[in-house]
Amino acid sequence: MEMQVSGKVKFLIGGNGTVGFITTALPKPASRESGRSGENPRPTVTVRMKETGLIVSDISDTQNPSGSHNRDKTQSTHSTGVADNGRWSTQRIAIYALFVALAMAASFIEFPIMPGVPWLKYDLSGIICLVAGFAFGPMAAFIVSVLSWIPHLFMNPWGAVMSIAVAVFLSVPAAMVYKRIRTRMGALAGILVGVVFGLIAAIGGNLLITPIYAHMTTAQVLKMVVPILLPFNLIKFAIHGVVTFIIYKPISNLLNR
Amino acid sequence: MNTAFDKPTDAGPSSPTNEPGLSASLHDVGFSYDGGTSWVLNGIDLDIKVGERICLVGPNGSGKSTLARLIAGLSSPDRGSIALLGYDVFHDGKPNSGLYRKARKGIGAVFQNPMDQIITTVVGDDVAFGPENLALAPDVITTRVHESLDAVDMEGTLFDDPSRMSGGQQQRIAIAGILAMAPSMIVLDEPTAMLDLAAQHDVLDVLDNLQHEGTTIVHVTHRPEELKHADRILSLEDGELVELTPTQAALKLSVTNADDTGLLKPDGLIIEGGSRKDNGLKTDGALNGSAKEDVNRTINHSQTEFQAAASSDTAASATNAPASDNAPAITAEPAIRFDHVSYRYPKSDKDTLHDFSMTIKQGEIVAIMGRNGTGKTTLTRLMSALSKPDSGTIQVSGIDLSSMSRRDKKALRSSVGLVMQQPEQQLFAETVRQDVAYGPSNQGLPAQVVDQRVNRALTLLGIDGLADRSPFSLSGGQQRLTAIAGIIACEPRILILDEPTAGLDASASERIYALIRTLNAHGVTIVLITHSPRQARQLADRVITLGGVEQGDKSQKDSNHHSRNDSGPNTAIDKAIDTDTSVHASAAGNIDQPRQHTSDEKTATSGNADQVGAANQPTPPAQRQSIIERLDPRVKLIVFLVLMFTSFMVTSLPQLALTAVMVVILAAAAKLGPKLLFRSMKGFLILLAVMGVINMLFVRTGRPLVSIASFPITDDGVMAAILYTCRFGLVILLGIILLQTTTPTALTDGFGSLLSPLRKFGLHTQELALVMSLALRFLPTLAAEARNIIDAQSARGGSIETGSPTRRLKALAAIVVPIFAGALRHSDNLSLALDARCYEENIERTHWHAMHVARRDVAFIVLCALYLAILLTLKTGLVAAPRL
Repeated sequence: MEMQVSGKVKFLIGGNGTVGFITTALPKPASRESGRSGENPRPTVTVRMKETGLIVSDISDTQNPSGSHNRDKTQSTHSTGVADNGRWSTQRIAIYALFVALAMAASFIEFPIMPGVPWLKYDLSGIICLVAGFAFGPMAAFIVSVLSWIPHLFMNPWGAVMSIAVAVFLSVPAAMVYKRIRTRMGALAGILVGVVFGLIAAIGGNLLITPIYAHMTTAQVLKMVVPILLPFNLIKFAIHGVVTFIIYKPISNLLNR
Repeated sequence: MNTAFDKPTDAGPSSPTNEPGLSASLHDVGFSYDGGTSWVLNGIDLDIKVGERICLVGPNGSGKSTLARLIAGLSSPDRGSIALLGYDVFHDGKPNSGLYRKARKGIGAVFQNPMDQIITTVVGDDVAFGPENLALAPDVITTRVHESLDAVDMEGTLFDDPSRMSGGQQQRIAIAGILAMAPSMIVLDEPTAMLDLAAQHDVLDVLDNLQHEGTTIVHVTHRPEELKHADRILSLEDGELVELTPTQAALKLSVTNADDTGLLKPDGLIIEGGSRKDNGLKTDGALNGSAKEDVNRTINHSQTEFQAAASSDTAASATNAPASDNAPAITAEPAIRFDHVSYRYPKSDKDTLHDFSMTIKQGEIVAIMGRNGTGKTTLTRLMSALSKPDSGTIQVSGIDLSSMSRRDKKALRSSVGLVMQQPEQQLFAETVRQDVAYGPSNQGLPAQVVDQRVNRALTLLGIDGLADRSPFSLSGGQQRLTAIAGIIACEPRILILDEPTAGLDASASERIYALIRTLNAHGVTIVLITHSPRQARQLADRVITLGGVEQGDKSQKDSNHHSRNDSGPNTAIDKAIDTDTSVHASAAGNIDQPRQHTSDEKTATSGNADQVGAANQPTPPAQRQSIIERLDPRVKLIVFLVLMFTSFMVTSLPQLALTAVMVVILAAAAKLGPKLLFRSMKGFLILLAVMGVINMLFVRTGRPLVSIASFPITDDGVMAAILYTCRFGLVILLGIILLQTTTPTALTDGFGSLLSPLRKFGLHTQELALVMSLALRFLPTLAAEARNIIDAQSARGGSIETGSPTRRLKALAAIVVPIFAGALRHSDNLSLALDARCYEENIERTHWHAMHVARRDVAFIVLCALYLAILLTLKTGLVAAPRL
């Protein structure tokens, strides 16, 4: 999310609902190429925005903020001031909807990853919640986490409640950390914090919910924590984290194009 | 019908603040995507009179869509002034959102991809979305919905699912959704780009009617034939507008050998010295104009004998063309052979391909034609071993696809290249070069060879200059060429292209034509799926038509309009043979993918008179709806969720029996048969079985019954297994009953309404409900796209299942990135569609299906409360539950 810059300019962006300080760059030719090679000095600017998340402009005329072209996919340039504006612009609704649909689709593709415990299944939807959180902020992570499991409420009610809790505890803290530290390290830290919260939610949830599905006491479930629940969730979150970390860069390029 | 087009009082030209008689007036408008460095639109002056029909043309990336959006009031420019429907929406460099809002209510916008504009899964509900946003009364909405469906000739589809319709029908539904808002001006951005010929004409018919009704039309198009009824044709080039005469426009759009049209001039296409042969479709009225030109056209490769076998039960006939002067490039060895192949989609009750046989020889160019849904794409999937036939054998390059070893599979992957529809949706890498290199490097070639191949492919497609750009920064046409280069770089001996020029402008199409000819000159066998008879004629040695012949042009279509529905397999094939001498094979006529074609027939047969009457009900006839279906969705949602969550309290057999009785009563009241319930439950059976076994094994108390591998099975264990499995099964059944009796719209409406008290706390409940509804609508679209991307990348040798971890991760990225790119693309289009339907944050909307709690809802609540009371009594008091 950071930009490689050769100079920096600070100005106030207004006019499309979100007013916030944005530090942005003078355009630099071929920054994409050099940015990847890592030859550039460390980013001098970290571009941050409020909840609406995505940045980033490449403006030559700093005297004219109204001509700014915020590439945020949830806020538009050339706004008409109708529906394409504000906290719940149609862009935002559309992008949340598509992310929820993606996460929903992923939530239906479940498979066991640990031999011997076929009822603990892995699914990829957490990755989409994480990506949504990184790209559009904690609120997006929350919405995608909750809505994407709602269809499961009508099939496996308690399981759905539990999955929602785990997804929220994983993605929202991660997004909150990344919102403050918009660097690769920030993303990593976010994921790690998310994993800790996610583990707490997953194990706590299992303690409560497993007795509903199997004839076990909480004490019996407690015995399963170390040999089964902990390793399963660690594997699960490790896959989530690694995949998110790898795919986020190309995806953020898409978001900012 | 007329009332559908009555001008809304607040948005019509009746309340002008500007010059009267103008639908749109642009003055010195400039638009830049890069803050003024370059101008997509530069000093545009344009006045559009009320009732005028304007066609806007120009090459890909010329800014047509940008201008269309400005005229539709969906975005604002950087400078200049704009008045829409008499409102000064953009003045002094500033948008006036209040006036934009007013103007937009009177302007409709239709875009290229119909499925990005349809916002829900029921036709009626989708059409009602716009009027709901205008806060019209429910009875007015009912009238609007029926009138606008009538206007696009889609009455009778009120309860259908648009995602199961053909592209043409979907586009007409999208137009109906706009007409229901009674716009006085409608802006269409290449509305027919994705459609087959017949569907294009259906859409044009609708436009003709609108023109007749006096609606202002702004139509962005690439197709010369769509210019016919335009009052003015404007061309956008280098940011400026030029008015063209029809002749100039036709010339401009057709350059040398563009697309299907009767307006085209001879293009003098000459391939190195072949024999000239009249390959024309001589009796096809559609092609009359151009058939004459065929006399001047040279087709190098002549037709070779072709065998077609068709099943007797579909009465398809086979014709053998006289074998004639074979071009040297074509050898006798078959590249592809289909032998009595049948294929059926899993959920379909009809074969998409039925007993289909054909042979394609090496070095041939074969065009495959046929309407949407006749199995053309299926054919390409079968050829590239992405799908397996239900019966029959397929040989490609001498490999029998039904019994492939791992090595065969690899050999096939490198010898067959598949360019899917819209292959640009598979782009993923950071640069064009990396993307193109993906296939060859997956083949394990040395880096140097990969480089060579990439360079060759880029040169062949004339995009060497783009090698280091990000594929996502390119125009649509350039992206298409890049994606094709990625397949050419694998150097296949057989190249299958599925509608490679759809949506491309003349110059990009030309590149693809040249590519096909060059590759073929090097002996590559080409299979070309196309909707354009002209393209087929210009490129192909031979045409294979599936399921009858395409409708060529308007006049023919009109005269055939009523015969279309009774043209069974025989007539379709007769026609195919009559009209196209190069058609030697016709697969069974009736093999269309049923879900698309059958519904098309339905609309074709439906007489207007009786349909309007029948359709004039907001809901289906009451006797078809069960009591459960008619319940208020809010009541249903809450009560079912309560029932589901409380079912887990069941801890004894009597309680289980009680819950079972309740579920049976509900299923009966919902009129759901045991068969359907079982089918819906199928997916959960394994889960339930696993649960049963685990419970059986975990319980150690009680009397041991048997012992399996030192695990004692006790009676308590069996009891627990029965109890836990059955109660979970009942929970799932409750869920199925709810979902089977409630439309997604009703569910999300209910969901939104239940959440609405939370609005006080700043929660955007209406928006959340809409997000949910849209997500459900796009779920199948994304799933289908994901499947395509996975197939396409695996055809280029990328697989997550095999290889080193880095290769697997790369393969994963090659799948995940395009999936996200697709989601973002849909969301861009969708947000425009929501704007066009006048959706806004926190607006006051009405609901077409007003929800109110009726007596039956109260009865339902009482029944369920009674059940819960008995359950709780059983648990606590009168009957002691046996403790397990």
